[in-house]
Parts: sequence; C-alpha cells; structure tokens
Amino acid sequence: MTNRDDVFHFEETAAPRLRRYARGLCAGYPAAEADDLVQAALERLGPSLIGPSPRGSGDGAPQPAQARVAAYRALTDLARQKLRGPAPPRGAPSHAPIVDALAELPFDERVALLLVALEGLSYEDAANVCGATRETTVARLIRARAALSGLDLRPANGARRAGGHLRVVK
Amino acid sequence: MTPEQITEADLHALVDGELAPDRRRAVEDHLLQHPEEAALVEGWRRQNAALRAAFDHVAHETPPTTLRRPKAPATPGPIETGAIHWGRPSASRATRRVDEARRARRKKALLSGLLTLVVGALAAAAIFLALSGGPKSRPPTASAADPQGYAGRAEVAYQTFAQDARAVEIDAGRKGELSAWLLRRVGFGLVPDLSPLGLRFLGGRVTPGLREPAGFLVYERDGGDRLALYFERADGGATPGPGPRRGFLGAIEWRAAGMAFVLIGPVSAELLQAAGERAAAEVIAPQATPAEPGR
Repeated sequence: MTNRDDVFHFEETAAPRLRRYARGLCAGYPAAEADDLVQAALERLGPSLIGPSPRGSGDGAPQPAQARVAAYRALTDLARQKLRGPAPPRGAPSHAPIVDALAELPFDERVALLLVALEGLSYEDAANVCGATRETTVARLIRARAALSGLDLRPANGARRAGGHLRVVK
Repeated sequence: MTPEQITEADLHALVDGELAPDRRRAVEDHLLQHPEEAALVEGWRRQNAALRAAFDHVAHETPPTTLRRPKAPATPGPIETGAIHWGRPSASRATRRVDEARRARRKKALLSGLLTLVVGALAAAAIFLALSGGPKSRPPTASAADPQGYAGRAEVAYQTFAQDARAVEIDAGRKGELSAWLLRRVGFGLVPDLSPLGLRFLGGRVTPGLREPAGFLVYERDGGDRLALYFERADGGATPGPGPRRGFLGAIEWRAAGMAFVLIGPVSAELLQAAGERAAAEVIAPQATPAEPGR
C-alpha cells in the first residue's frame, strides 16, 4: 500500500512539472499537444513506476531521482517522435518573444535548455535524460543560449536608464 | 588574478549552479575584471527568468482530470452489460481518486502555509535577537531573507562609522591598497568615482556583513554630509523586502556583479538617486579599470 502512495505522490508532484516541460517543448504547437504528450508519457511510465506486479510489494519502485530522470526521458523521447515533422503553420506570434525563439531552436537544443534552465536539472541528469554525454548536452545548451541571445529580454518600461535596477529602499 | 583559464562553459556552469564553491569564486572574480562576460552571464540569467515567466504558470495549474495515470489493468470492471448503472462501483472509485487527490493537495497547501508562518515567526525572532545586540552569534535563519537585509546592515555600518573621526580604515590617498584589500576580503574592489556629483571620496574599510565581510566606502559633500556605499556578496536569494523607516537616512539598493550594494546617507532623494546611478554604472562599466592588487 505504501508503494501505491509513493507512486501517487510522485504523480502529484511530477505531473505539473512534466506539463511545464512539455509546454516548453511544444512551443509553437497548441497546448493540447503538450498535455497529450504528458498523458502518453505517464502511460508509458506506468509499469516502470509501479513495478512488475501492480500490487507488488514495492521492490520494483525506482528511487525518486531515477524516477524523475525516467519521467523526463519518456516525455522527451515521445516528443522527439511526435515533433519530428515540420511545425504547423504558425498563427499569430505568441505574446512572449522567448516562446517564439524557443520554437525556432533545434529539438535537442530546446531540450537541453529547458531541462537545465526551466526544470532545474543538473547537467548530469539532463545528459541522462537526453541520452547524450554531459559535454554534448552542455554544448547544446550553449548553442541554445547563443541563439536566444539576440532577444531583448530587459524589462520594458523605464529600465533603459543606467539606474533602472536601483531600488529606493526609503 | 585568475591563473586557470575561465572558459565559456564555466560561465554557463556558474549560471546553472554547477560550480564548486572555489571555482565559483574564481569565475566571479574573473567576471569582475571582464564586464563584457558579466553581461553575457546577466543575459543568460534573463533568459532563464523569461523561460520561467513564460511557462511556470503551467506547473501551478491544476492538471486536467483527464491527465491521470491509467489504472492498473488488474481489476476488470464489475458489471458491463451495457445498462446504465448509476451506482457503478468503478465510477465512484474514479471520483474518489480525484477527491483523494484534491484532499492531498489541500492538505499540502495547508501544511506549506503553516510552515511559512512558522519560518516567518522564527526569522522575525532571529532578527529581533540580532538587533537587540545579544552577544550570541546570529542564528542561521537571520539571513538576507530578513526584512532588514543589506540596507539594515548598511545602516548599522553607517551609524557606526560614517560620522566617526576615524570613519575609514584606509583613506583615499591609498586607494590602490584599499581596493586590493576589499577585493581580497569582500570579493569586490572597485571604488566608484562620485566627484562629478560633488562627493569627495574619503576612504573605506571592511565591515561585518550579513553573511560575509562587507565593503564600506565613505564619501563627503561640501557641507560635511557623508554618504556611504556598502556592498556585500549577494546570496542570490530573494530581494529583501522594503526596509523600515530609518530616521533621516536615505538608502538605495541594487545588485550587480554578484554583489549587493547599498548607498546610504542623509542627503536628498535626487542626489542619492544620481549618486546611485553613477556608482551603479561605474561598477559595471567596461572602461572602469579595476585596481590591480599591489598597485
């Protein structure tokens, strides 16, 4: 029974993060695509999370850190298959320039950037999710950040002045 | 200053928290000397913030109820004859699951709320203890997260030193020595030149900070009013909340190059703002030549 509770807990915390990640991966696609991906990933994960027998004693349950990597990995693999084709014709650009820029990135670079910058995974974990070496993953991350560096992400109003980030304490 | 080569990967690793403390220090020192690389790092941090701003809300939405793990395929449905079974056990089990999930989430929210209250109370108590001048060492909870924050520290330093006959440990005549000392102890050795605003540099010293030694530079106006620039390595935590009213002292706070800066003094808000902008610009400006240790 405790095993089941663990699984349940994992699902409670993991699903929202996986959705966030999926939404980033599917930048440029409708949001429903992202939710479909998460659903499919959770389905694929089901057996590996619960263990060989659904009512088993829990010896098959992986450690939380491994489960996390496994979950991101399942989602990433599914997304790679699904998003292989060209992106659908874009409608109006989204309100955030970063989302549009993200959609333009090659898939692997988007994965590396999102895992590290958005999901807060370590380089090691991110590399495991990608199934690449740490060096490759870092190189993709660097390329992704370079590609996004053209964006002007400074806060819009009044911040152009040299002292825009000053805060009057009193 | 930096014997080993700092690569671009090091800069990324700094942003991503992948560096060991020693290496992190080395890279941060390197950034102080290379503002153009510091600007790169700043840009990547902005990218991270923009990504979070764009997608973080998704993680806080309640996932659609369709988004649930499929049931373990073990139990076959009880009665599947095609008739409508209003009291079908499987249906009620599904609702129960959703209820269970909601209850768990509510319980978690309640717990985290309580936890926040307790932590807040502890932090307030710790600040009270720290401010009432108890001789014991400050408990670790009283960090930069306390509402006094760097500005509060800056004010204590100001009250202690600024009007003292020996306001500074090393005067303006030995600026190079002062810079080297501050760089070594505080991690930041630039002395902004505020003389165009009528603020003459007197000198500086090392003073106790919130967590680490802090730098304290004193400037004087013609009238004798003194302005102090306090800076300490920022811990990257949340910006402390607005400080309390503090008599006639004005204070202005900003962060740059991994440091928290506070400019404090009994001068008009305009002068304070102007001096703050100038100091902030100098601190990150590429043409500002950092004092070499031993110059």
